[in-house]
Amino acid sequence: MSKTVTPWLDNLLQEIEGVEIRRKDSRRVRIDIAADSLPTLLELLRGRAGYVHLSAITCVDWIDESQFELVYQLWSYESQSLVSAHIRIAREPGVYVSVFDLYQPAAFFERDIHEMFGVYFEGSPDMSKFILTEWNGPPPMRKEFDAEAWVNETFEWKEYQPDWLKEITEQGGGIVKTPEEARQKKP
Amino acid sequence: MKEIDIPIETSAAKRRTNPLARVFDELVRFCRSRSMFMLHYCTGCGAIELPPAMTSRFDMERLGIQPMVTPRQADILLITGYVSIKTLKRVILTYEQMGSPKYVIGICSCTVNGGMYWQSYATAKQLDQYLPVDLYIAGCMPRPEAVLEGMRKLMDRIRSGEADGWEDYYRRYDWYLGNQQHLFGDDWQTPADVIGEASHYDLAGPGTEGEHTRLLQQCQKPLEPQQTFFQIGGSLEKKGESHE
Ligand code: SF4
Repeated sequence: MSKTVTPWLDNLLQEIEGVEIRRKDSRRVRIDIAADSLPTLLELLRGRAGYVHLSAITCVDWIDESQFELVYQLWSYESQSLVSAHIRIAREPGVYVSVFDLYQPAAFFERDIHEMFGVYFEGSPDMSKFILTEWNGPPPMRKEFDAEAWVNETFEWKEYQPDWLKEITEQGGGIVKTPEEARQKKP
Repeated sequence: MKEIDIPIETSAAKRRTNPLARVFDELVRFCRSRSMFMLHYCTGCGAIELPPAMTSRFDMERLGIQPMVTPRQADILLITGYVSIKTLKRVILTYEQMGSPKYVIGICSCTVNGGMYWQSYATAKQLDQYLPVDLYIAGCMPRPEAVLEGMRKLMDRIRSGEADGWEDYYRRYDWYLGNQQHLFGDDWQTPADVIGEASHYDLAGPGTEGEHTRLLQQCQKPLEPQQTFFQIGGSLEKKGESHE
């Protein structure tokens, strides 16, 4: 089996308009594509090029551009190569179509992204809570969710220099560097 | 079910008359400290230092410490690392199932003050707000030597009677419950009747009941088995049929 991405993949990709193909190395291809064309691309890759394995769907929150980026990682056992298909969707309302009918594992990835980013996938079999079953706040991976502020509001902190520590410090133990010192940036 | 009325003799009713009681107490404490069964609830990465501490290299068993499989038979609850809020619920359930006297050890910096997950929305920060921690072993992660050192410290404290976190849980149950409710919501409840247990052990104090336990009693409802459904396969089945 050839270790390079085969030429017929290139021919195949020419059938779709508006794609930008970047070859990362001999076994990795990055494809940027318009959101509308992604299902077509996946269908072609799966049906004609042997990319039968959807390893993951990942999401990136580009809050400044008001967009979500969805990355579909596809693996071909035949050509031993990875294609990552990148699309951008509008952050509001954050809705996209499910690819469950093409790749069934997508159900889990989409459910996870829905939970973490609040992106809704139309046609996905189950959009209920997945891992954060006991979380009632906003989707925590969205960039506007300030985890640090939430933590400071919810939890209290232990004192860093309690009295009992002084004894230990006298014996040569204790805290070497306080968190404040540790967080200071080096000049 | 018919209720059977069994008279319970509380320790307040039977005053101690035996002059040897103190000696006997000491013997009991000595025995307790030399035979500790621990339930290691491996919540975080710190658990990785336990296998070497337990097996032949450092061999905890020579100190009388052994792993135990069920909470009902265990004396020590070992929390090894960060506890996510979801896990914390399970940890509390586990803790309340253990028979007294019971001890909690928090291994790893994450249990002390959040550790390197201090700004994470998913983990609880100070374990001792939710459970009475008898001993912390700090470090990220503590080496087996430190774990053993901690265990020996706990043995000393049990022998001297200082390790009384479990009593504190009964005495200040309202405070612990309040912190738990703050995190899990007002309808948080466990199957254990902690207040009943507190009066059984004769440890019910002014802090046992309060506003939080009243809230608990308001929200309490009979427990039902929890059911989880995964409906991913539904449409798969249909497809399979059509192929036939
Ligand atoms: S203190 Fe370090 S080793 Fe322990 S649970 Fe936290 S991150 Fe993991």
